[in-house]
Amino acid sequence: MLRKCISPNASIIKFIVLLIVAIVAVILPLLLQNPYYIQIIIMVVVNVMLAMGLVMLLSSGLVTLGCAAFWAVGAYASTILVMKVGLNFWYTLFLSGIIAGVIALGTGVVIVRLSKLAFTFVTIMIGTIVYLVVGRIEFFGGWGGIVGIPKPDPISLPFDVIVNFTARTSCYYLIIFLLLVNILVFYALYNSRIGRAWKAIKLNPQLAETLGINTNRYALAAYIIPAVFAGIAGSFYAHTFNVVEPDSFGFWKSIYIQVYAILGGVNFYILGPVIGSMFLTLLPEIFRVAHEIEPLITGCILLIVVIFLPGGLLSLPQYIHGSTGLEGKQNVFLRILRRKKR
Amino acid sequence: MTGALFAQLVVNGLATGMIYVLVASGLVLVLGIARVFNFAHGEFYMLGAFTAYFVVTLFKLNIILALILSLVLGAFLGAISYRSIFHYMRGDLLRCAAASIGIGLILKQSIVILWNPTSHSIVSEVFKRVIEIAGVTLSVGKLIVIFLGLLIMSGLYYLLMRTKTGKAMRAISLDSKTASLLGINTVKIYWLTMILGSGLAAVAGGIVAPLFVVSTNMGEGILLTVFMIMVVGGIESLPGTVIAGILIGLLGSFGYHFLTGFSELFMFCFVSIFLIFRPRGVFGSFVKEVY
Repeated sequence: MLRKCISPNASIIKFIVLLIVAIVAVILPLLLQNPYYIQIIIMVVVNVMLAMGLVMLLSSGLVTLGCAAFWAVGAYASTILVMKVGLNFWYTLFLSGIIAGVIALGTGVVIVRLSKLAFTFVTIMIGTIVYLVVGRIEFFGGWGGIVGIPKPDPISLPFDVIVNFTARTSCYYLIIFLLLVNILVFYALYNSRIGRAWKAIKLNPQLAETLGINTNRYALAAYIIPAVFAGIAGSFYAHTFNVVEPDSFGFWKSIYIQVYAILGGVNFYILGPVIGSMFLTLLPEIFRVAHEIEPLITGCILLIVVIFLPGGLLSLPQYIHGSTGLEGKQNVFLRILRRKKR
Repeated sequence: MTGALFAQLVVNGLATGMIYVLVASGLVLVLGIARVFNFAHGEFYMLGAFTAYFVVTLFKLNIILALILSLVLGAFLGAISYRSIFHYMRGDLLRCAAASIGIGLILKQSIVILWNPTSHSIVSEVFKRVIEIAGVTLSVGKLIVIFLGLLIMSGLYYLLMRTKTGKAMRAISLDSKTASLLGINTVKIYWLTMILGSGLAAVAGGIVAPLFVVSTNMGEGILLTVFMIMVVGGIESLPGTVIAGILIGLLGSFGYHFLTGFSELFMFCFVSIFLIFRPRGVFGSFVKEVY
């Protein structure tokens, strides 16, 4: 879509847009003095990382509703390793990713063989099992969760600069860095043989198999890679907010992540989750609505977008150009809108 | 374990299992025939329970009337949501899922805002009574639930297997395009299925209301259990769902007695292991590629 808006050969404009986004991302904490806003933006970025994982699995044609599970695994693994084993945060940040990846491998080997619908149901069950395990077993802190998780340890950079992570600002830069790594890895994957194989599997699994693509193995890759990043995001989340509790990793979290992805547009692998997550998290904050009304607004926005913009928010420019890919008799409202436009 | 305790646990398990079967079969119908992945199903169940609660407690009406009213409300909600939303995105499971999440959020939060989210319960004379059969004390309410569940399920069986509408529904679940070619009005059947499924969820909520507590969180809880039951039953097979629902109900009842808090976890792990050995549910086959 972005390509269409900006005309394909205008790579300079694209570069300038990216530069502006980068500059805004860097100076954002200086503009927002209130740490509460920075906290919201950190949460948005964590959601973006999770939603991007969901979209990656979706690009291979599978739907997961248990992405919060690997986030929880990462958060709890990091918490336990730091608080009970006594490891450094910077090791656990990667270890939690590896642990989440190993668990994804163990479960994924079994469940990628199921039919697509059964896969979705089983991911819901995996999410629930993780939620119940961390809630029920006292070792993981029970329903009350674990409080007082230490902040990330300070690191010393060259030129005698020591970065402390006691302030929200440095945590913000850390998560932006992680997001950047995540986006680069995903971008590389989508543009490689693996990404093309996922697209082929989504279009037609049988045909892909005849072309020599091992569908199960590629689906497994699409299941594990997001899990690793979700684990890293979970570790970051636990140490930034200093508390993990089972209720923040429940079924509704997974549902919300799916909503972010769908709202942004599932065909926009990287930009879709970013826009969806930002839109849905920032809109209630901008209007400063009460906590009670927030799900109502979320539901209404979701319904409106799903009915009128099947391709997500990012398909709006395409929609205005009149090529949403919708066939003939779709929606009465849609037809009325179209007529008005002409 | 004494025989009396065993009988009580079996009755409890059957009663819970019946509720699961009612809700799950509604969802299976909606998913298998109308091709709507309905996340608002749990909220329909919750609304059915709230309707029964209000009719009995505030308006002091009969419990039977309450059940009929919750059935009507559920059917009405299903009809409205299908005709105004799902109809325009039929065939696209992901969009249906997203829209139903939106509907669920709106329904649940409007209940939370209108009435405080504390749990309520209906005081019903008939349901709280106990009877003694052959030296075993049993709750009348649970027996009524089992009876009502059997009644509704046999009605559903009659509808699906003995009427022309049921035949059309089965035809559509096999192949909607061919069914449409053979002169079946598919849109009408989709609509009817959605009404039926939502009505089943709501009437299950109405039946639960006098027995357990009525709270705004009940929809979410049962939805997860129902998903588990559908996985065990084979997702699109109605007989499999019935067996799986009763199985999970009994398992929950016995598990809660012996393991208390861990019973849910135990159940989910049991199902996972079951799935490794039988990935296609109780009766196998039936699972079709839908996405």
